[in-house]
Amino acid sequence: MKKSTRLLIVCLMFATVLSGISLMGVAAQSATMTDQQIELIRSNCVSAKNTLNQLHASDALLRVNRGQIYESMSTKLMDRFNNRASTNGFGNTDLVAVTKSYGLMLDTFRLEYIGYEKQLALAISIDCPNQPVEFYDAVLSARTKRNQVNVDVVKLNQHIDQYQSAVNQFEKDYQVSVERLKQ
Amino acid sequence: MDEPKIEIAVNEGSFRSKHRFLLLIALSILIASTLVLISMAMYNGSGAAQLDLSRPGYKEVRAQAITNDSDFKNYSSTGPINQDTISEFKTLFAQQAEKTKSVDAFGGDPLNPDALGISVPSEQ
Repeated sequence: MKKSTRLLIVCLMFATVLSGISLMGVAAQSATMTDQQIELIRSNCVSAKNTLNQLHASDALLRVNRGQIYESMSTKLMDRFNNRASTNGFGNTDLVAVTKSYGLMLDTFRLEYIGYEKQLALAISIDCPNQPVEFYDAVLSARTKRNQVNVDVVKLNQHIDQYQSAVNQFEKDYQVSVERLKQ
Repeated sequence: MDEPKIEIAVNEGSFRSKHRFLLLIALSILIASTLVLISMAMYNGSGAAQLDLSRPGYKEVRAQAITNDSDFKNYSSTGPINQDTISEFKTLFAQQAEKTKSVDAFGGDPLNPDALGISVPSEQ
């Protein structure tokens, strides 16, 4: 047998195995859903899609407005106070650390939102009367990603609280240093 | 009496010199298409697409976007640090923190299949 023929046979076998694995995945997903559920998705998917479209728009607005506020918290307040403390020769290590961590969390929030928006757009684009299972799976995936974005928002709020605590500590340290100077 | 035939040598030239204008147009279209593809990839990949409320589908919410954040006061990054300036910052920060945390952004569970009406309890 020629070497090229052997190579062709190996490639064909590999492709067959890969197709089999992917088909098994699809079958596994479909197996978890009853016919009744598939029919329900098919009949309600148009109204579900309308809801998804509204959510898509309202979440985009939320992302723009919230993102702007979270950005301003950092650029208009935290960074500026840190700079001021630094230029006046005060130790601001804790403040800088919280600000840095907040910035990283903000980056995570932005990335997670992109992932969520793409997944929601994908769910909306699915032809749900003909692909009800794919539509359901896409909605579930978007739901998970949206919950993750919410977790990021909660963490950002926690960072804001941490910064407030760091400022309180900074104030206490400042008062102690002033008292020492007076003595 | 036959007149002598004068043969004019026609310079056929290369394909490039013959179709210079067409090549210019084709090349321009190719370059423009490549640049559009690159910019679209950047637009989609950078997250700008997600913030772009001028896209179709966002018409209803476009007007509600915050375009003027003048109520978000800048804290001066220069000047002395004393009890007054620290207190001023704390007040400013507390105000904005309150506003920021007042909204449960992306909370709730609107994508719950039950809420969307696409879920039924599986048969036992």
